Amino acid sequence: MDAQKVDLFITTNAKYFESHQINSIRERLMNADEAKWVSIQSIDYKDPKTLILISIFAGSLGIDRFMLGDTGLGVAKLLTCGGMGIWTIVDWFGIQKITRQKNFEKLNMFI
Amino acid sequence: MTKKKLYIILSIGLIAGYTWLVYLLFRDNSKQGLPACFIKNTTGVPCPSCGNTRSVLAIIKGNFIDAILINPLGIIIATIMVVSPFWLLYDITSKKDTLYKSYLKFEKIITTKSIMILLIILILLNWIWNIQKGL
Repeated sequence: MDAQKVDLFITTNAKYFESHQINSIRERLMNADEAKWVSIQSIDYKDPKTLILISIFAGSLGIDRFMLGDTGLGVAKLLTCGGMGIWTIVDWFGIQKITRQKNFEKLNMFI
Repeated sequence: MTKKKLYIILSIGLIAGYTWLVYLLFRDNSKQGLPACFIKNTTGVPCPSCGNTRSVLAIIKGNFIDAILINPLGIIIATIMVVSPFWLLYDITSKKDTLYKSYLKFEKIITTKSIMILLIILILLNWIWNIQKGL
């Protein structure tokens, strides 16, 4: 793919990924086919900042997990009052990383 | 969600759940007041799952009607806690992934739009009932 397009993608979407993933993303985008550009552009990423706010205010109800697509875990969190509060607190610190990981997996499906 | 991750999370959850129940069954009954959940501690309003522990404890003592009246979700939790250890052991010993496949199927079913809306309404109704009961 065109270097300019890849750079544009990286600058606009860097916040959705872990910093150590950026290099591999850039490399793989460079090698990717030009035709994939449109579909890559249309991927809907979850913002880690939104997720941490949801995790703080509605984590006990498992809404953060539902949003990330981990429905089963969301149900588990909902039924146990957020893992008796412990799981909720663990997720406050981990949810951003999990979100970025999910975004990376989503991108991986296209390239 | 990988198979290994699901089984680890489920095992941790089951160990925590059973430890919690054993602690509650053998603890000094004179000290009342369960360490309640986050939402209840911060806002004073019970969450949709408040009363689940009491409900499961009622089931252990055989009071099924009490369990439903305290919180119907307790029955779901009790069923999961009884069934899943055996299922987990069966999967691990026979190196199959029936539990994992059922989990994925369950996820797929409840994310169907109509079922999801129905479940959300039920949870909300249960929540309103919880608040009314003042759990």
